[in-house]
Amino acid sequence: MFLFSASQFSNLFSVLFSHYRRHPLQLLALALMIMLATMLWTGVNHLTTQARASLGQSEQAAAARSQLERVDGQALTVADFVTLRRAGLCVTPWLEVERPGQGGRLVGVDPLAAGCFAQTAPAAGNNSPERIDSPESSKKPEPAWTPVLNGDPFIDISEAAELAQNVAPSNVSLSLLIVPPEPASALPADYRMTGFSLGPDTGELGDSFLLNLDALGFLVLLITALLLRSVYQLGMAQRRDSFALLQRFGVMPSAINRVLLVEILLLALLSVVPGVWLGRLLAGTVSGGFGQALDSLFDTPLYAGQSENWLTSIATMMAIVLVVCLAQNVQALLLRTAAVLSFALPAKLLTGFGVRPWPWLALPLAAIGLAVALLAQSLPLVFFAVALVFAATGIAAPFAIAALSATLARKTREPLACWRHTELGVMARRLALPLVALQFALAMVLAVQALVTVFEVTFDEWLGQRLAADYFIEVPAGASANAAAQWLAAQPELAQSGDWHQVVRGVAQLPAAANDPAMADPKMDNPKMADSKMAGSKTDRKAQSVDLFALGPVSPLLTMWSLQAAGDQPWQGFAAGEGVMVNEQLARRYPLAVGDTLVLTLANTRLERPVLAIYADYGRPAGEVLINLELLPDEFVPVFESFSISPGASDITMITDGLQRLWQVESVRVRDNKRIRELADAVFDQTFLLTRAMTFVTLVLAAVALLIMGWVFFSTRAWYFRLLQVWGLTKRQVLAQLGWLALTLTLSITLLALPLGVWLTWVLVHRINPLAFGWSLPMAIYPGFWLQLGVVSVLIGLSITLLMRSQLGGSSPKPVSAASLRGDER
Amino acid sequence: MGQGTSVTEPLLKVRGLGKHFASAGQTVNVLSGLELTLAPGESLALMGRSGSGKSTLLNILCGLEQPDAGFVSIAGEHFAADSSASGPNQQRWAMLRRQRIGVVFQEANLMPALSLLDNVRLRARLAGQSDQHCGDWLKRLGIGELTQRYPDQVSGGQRQRAALAMVFAMRPSLILADEPTGSLDVRTALEVADELFHQQAASGCALILATHDSALAARCGQRLDLAQMGA
Amino acid sequence: MIKTQNWLTGFFQKAATLVLLSVSVLLAGCSQESDTGGFAGLAQAIDGSQSEPFLQPGPGDRLRFPDDWGPHPQHRIEWWYLTANLKTADGEPVGVQWTQFRQAIEPRPASEEPPAAELWPLQAAWMAHAAVSLEGEHRFAEKFARGDIGQAGAVANPLDIWLDDWRLTQQPDGALRLQVNTPQWGYDLLLRVQGEPVAHGDQGFSAKSASGEGSMYFSLVDIAISGELTLKGETQTVAGRGWFDREWSSQFLKAGQQGWDWFALHLDSGDKVMAFQLRQQDGGFLSGTWIPESGESVALPPDALSLTPLGFSGATPNLWRLQIPQYQVDINLAAPAGSYINNGLFPYWESPLSVSGSHSGEGYMELTGYRGSP
Repeated sequence: MFLFSASQFSNLFSVLFSHYRRHPLQLLALALMIMLATMLWTGVNHLTTQARASLGQSEQAAAARSQLERVDGQALTVADFVTLRRAGLCVTPWLEVERPGQGGRLVGVDPLAAGCFAQTAPAAGNNSPERIDSPESSKKPEPAWTPVLNGDPFIDISEAAELAQNVAPSNVSLSLLIVPPEPASALPADYRMTGFSLGPDTGELGDSFLLNLDALGFLVLLITALLLRSVYQLGMAQRRDSFALLQRFGVMPSAINRVLLVEILLLALLSVVPGVWLGRLLAGTVSGGFGQALDSLFDTPLYAGQSENWLTSIATMMAIVLVVCLAQNVQALLLRTAAVLSFALPAKLLTGFGVRPWPWLALPLAAIGLAVALLAQSLPLVFFAVALVFAATGIAAPFAIAALSATLARKTREPLACWRHTELGVMARRLALPLVALQFALAMVLAVQALVTVFEVTFDEWLGQRLAADYFIEVPAGASANAAAQWLAAQPELAQSGDWHQVVRGVAQLPAAANDPAMADPKMDNPKMADSKMAGSKTDRKAQSVDLFALGPVSPLLTMWSLQAAGDQPWQGFAAGEGVMVNEQLARRYPLAVGDTLVLTLANTRLERPVLAIYADYGRPAGEVLINLELLPDEFVPVFESFSISPGASDITMITDGLQRLWQVESVRVRDNKRIRELADAVFDQTFLLTRAMTFVTLVLAAVALLIMGWVFFSTRAWYFRLLQVWGLTKRQVLAQLGWLALTLTLSITLLALPLGVWLTWVLVHRINPLAFGWSLPMAIYPGFWLQLGVVSVLIGLSITLLMRSQLGGSSPKPVSAASLRGDER
Repeated sequence: MGQGTSVTEPLLKVRGLGKHFASAGQTVNVLSGLELTLAPGESLALMGRSGSGKSTLLNILCGLEQPDAGFVSIAGEHFAADSSASGPNQQRWAMLRRQRIGVVFQEANLMPALSLLDNVRLRARLAGQSDQHCGDWLKRLGIGELTQRYPDQVSGGQRQRAALAMVFAMRPSLILADEPTGSLDVRTALEVADELFHQQAASGCALILATHDSALAARCGQRLDLAQMGA
Repeated sequence: MIKTQNWLTGFFQKAATLVLLSVSVLLAGCSQESDTGGFAGLAQAIDGSQSEPFLQPGPGDRLRFPDDWGPHPQHRIEWWYLTANLKTADGEPVGVQWTQFRQAIEPRPASEEPPAAELWPLQAAWMAHAAVSLEGEHRFAEKFARGDIGQAGAVANPLDIWLDDWRLTQQPDGALRLQVNTPQWGYDLLLRVQGEPVAHGDQGFSAKSASGEGSMYFSLVDIAISGELTLKGETQTVAGRGWFDREWSSQFLKAGQQGWDWFALHLDSGDKVMAFQLRQQDGGFLSGTWIPESGESVALPPDALSLTPLGFSGATPNLWRLQIPQYQVDINLAAPAGSYINNGLFPYWESPLSVSGSHSGEGYMELTGYRGSP
């Protein structure tokens, strides 16, 4: 609602805009900054969406689903498929062919047969249980993504079958995927349903990563807002004279504000749209490069975020711009009120109000934030703490640089050095917002780098331990695992050069704490467990089931596991059946420490053993107890049995043939762990690369922002550098001063970003992850990477210097107008 | 053309000075064949309308711009047009500006982040002078109580007084003043001008004063009207 | 599980489309304009450059029973096609359709052994359509399968045509049993065929253009049907009459032909009519068969009949005027209210119709190639 006419408005608008007609470069810089900020956020957001989508799809691809097996253990053939289809079941073939050498794996599928998967799956957005073709409902649902039968890895099953004729039968396997029928009794008696999975379950891992991605995405949004705010403030500062003049002519400040609001909205819209476009382009370029290499595990296109709405990005950015403007107005209101209330207050203090709000506030904010982050027991609280600490750092950093430079200036006897230091203080204050943005970006890059590296290293190691055996053989239903174990133990070649162990999975009971304390000697003073104790008191605990993981005999495949906590010689004790091990999740939840005694019930048999070690068990929330196979009572009913085998000098086909004979089945399901490893690696590589790309983009754009702001700032200071020249410094000497200033500024903000980044890493790894998922990651710092960041900041500083060098040359600069020499020039 | 005669050794000698700019495809001669001689203690008023080359001449006389023709000799240093842009010449000019030539602009002569005193000290130290007497200079120019103020905390006239303090604190041989009172009200301008002439006379340095103000120009010993010359 | 299913759904839906479309594109050759869709998308025009030729039906080709009830692997396309006008016990009209298509990707001489099932061959793709129309609502389902592995196929004697658990089987007493089940609905019908097959066109060769392209085509025009319809969890008895088409060819739509309109009518006079037109820019190619209550059926040449669309549902004409002056036929053919688009991979209109005008009666109409239909 405007209180003046349209013509007045347009008059005022043209008067205000005339500033930019005289200084088109300022307008350009403003538009450029909005565009860059938009590009930054859109790009990062786009990449995050993609990372999320690609991870989600990889997960779905690797997720467990159902398949059918013959009860008699025979291999499935096309005849089984036809029988089941003609019985009305929705099954579809999945023919895997492992080609020798570099050929890799292919999956033959039958798209024609899979129509029933579409019919039985609930259609998105369509509540009607029946498909009634009225014109309204006649639109076909779009498939989520477009697979291509291009051998990557899917091909038509006829081609796969053709190829299968030329490879060893052990490298070909036909599975029949099924949509579980309802009722389940509809299944023919000759078949049973089992899980079908393509790889290790990465669900929890992925969730953890996505959570962290979200947190980082939020940080990027914050950085973007800071950049926008700094741009807007710059524009306002540059036009203070015009506003003062207009007010002297009797134009109400509110009218000016409204015109400015319209102006910034117009400008924002004009810059946001290309910014969004550029951001998407950028994300496409960044992800495109390595997307090809990692392309699509299971043909998952990297570019899954494609359908994301443009309007969302534009609306978000416009909202941010609006918030930035409103913040300005609120500040203006505060200023006016303050000026009315107390005329005596120095104007300077008020102007500085918004730029460096109450530096003393930083300390309590930081203290509260750090304390909350350390003690909080819920995720939102930790996020809140992160916000507090960031706010405190953001307030304090420019102030700290300014204060330091003031101290240095006071101390020095050299007038030129004194000038340099005071000038640095001015810069730190004037460039506070882009500086803080750069600081945040640096801290974020640092944390993400550490997090990603830790993730990579940890999982690589863990996966390596878990998949240490070359092969993994599932015990078919009805077959005797113990007979197989005896048979394996009797193989001389395997005993000599290979390693193997038997795996039994099942369920055990932990008794209720009230009746029968599970721990004879709970180590309450164990600091590692102290925090988890706060989550729930011990007396609340009910009798609970835990996953049981029984292994034996103890082979080098096991003893290479790295343990989070262990007593002396844990594996020897384990081999002797003297104790058990628990996973980190159980240890945290219960809580349990090494040395505590655990009471387990296994098929009505009570087992009381000390905890020998705690092992890392990423990727799932369940608690688990690891016991020696020999401790299992005979009446224990396993859920799953298998063998992990590294054949060594013996041949795996010899082993599988032997087991086939022993078990009297036509084929044995052998899983090649190398392939599973590759699969998992590919999933993570892709996600990690995307994340790194995201943070890199943030850093680059924050740097560019500082570059532009620095350039604009130096333009307003150009006269003073000229003055130095008039006072007898050569151009080279002036440039040296300039370079010192720029480099000191960027380097000091980098230094200030280091503790923030390290702290953020700690929060991500030690607070957020355990709270969200029950397991922690080791904390690591990478000083080599700090050095790289230092180089980046030096490059930013040098770039600012070089930009200014061109400004110093050429015609002599004019001093800025007398009026603008008041205000916060210093 | 007001070429004065002098009994003392000339501090400044300018012979055949020429400077032209390319403007809208045409060459505009701002200065051509300018001759000028100035001895220590002498003062010269530089007159002429805007664009007549006053600022250009001042820039040339402190080495910030290069002439296209002619010869400048200043405090024993000689610069010919064809060689004045070279590196060693830049060094010599920088040394001259640092120690011998004081420049006063219409405004913004002070570093905004430094107090008035620190400004004066900085300038004095650059000129190789001790900074012990900087406070005295401010006192002498009537703003002794403002030494710890910052430029944006004092009036325009006080800023120009501080600028004069800076220039005199460096003990220059030549002062180039470009409309030093141009942005001041009449009364303050008069006071600042008084200070300028007073201290110039006391220190015995030469002064070239570019101004529109003929009353001010009349207080100088010599007068050079660039408008007439360029016509 | 739902997530997994969605993933698979998307994948297979798309993959199925791709396979079938690529098959079609392969058949269409490069010269073919993309806007000429064959019937139900199956038969596109032909470039004839296949190394192994498909057999082309032509004038003089004769029908052979019972072999022609079975598949013709050296022909490109064929179908078994039942439409039925039934009524529930309450007298509510019910339309039922069941069709099984075979489309060859490579031709195979009848003498040659089919490829081994273990190789999951893709010489032919089968498609089955089933639809039920009741109270203005139209339900449709489709299934796909590759041929030669046993999942889908046809045997002439005793007649057995199946895809998954949908099948048409000859019973020991000679009657045909048709079973169709979808997760939401299904039917189980007994078909008692009366009378001999009616050969269309020139003793079974039915021309489809003025220049001689055509198909082999015969029909069973008098089938008494009874059975059960399961819908919305309720099973009810239905009864009525049906019409069974059997048609195969290697060549169908010519370039420039946009689609076709087909009508099968049971007139209350006891006479039956089959009429169709292949539409093209300058009118179309009309043909039909007059099947009197008694006596020989008569092929209707293009100038013996006329078809005029009178009303539309969206872009699809659902009200037609058919004139056969020779037999004093001037009737309106009207689909019941509602939309009857079989919204499968290749959408088309398939609806019961009622006859009014010079004659009354009922029947079915099938309309393909209308733009704007989904």
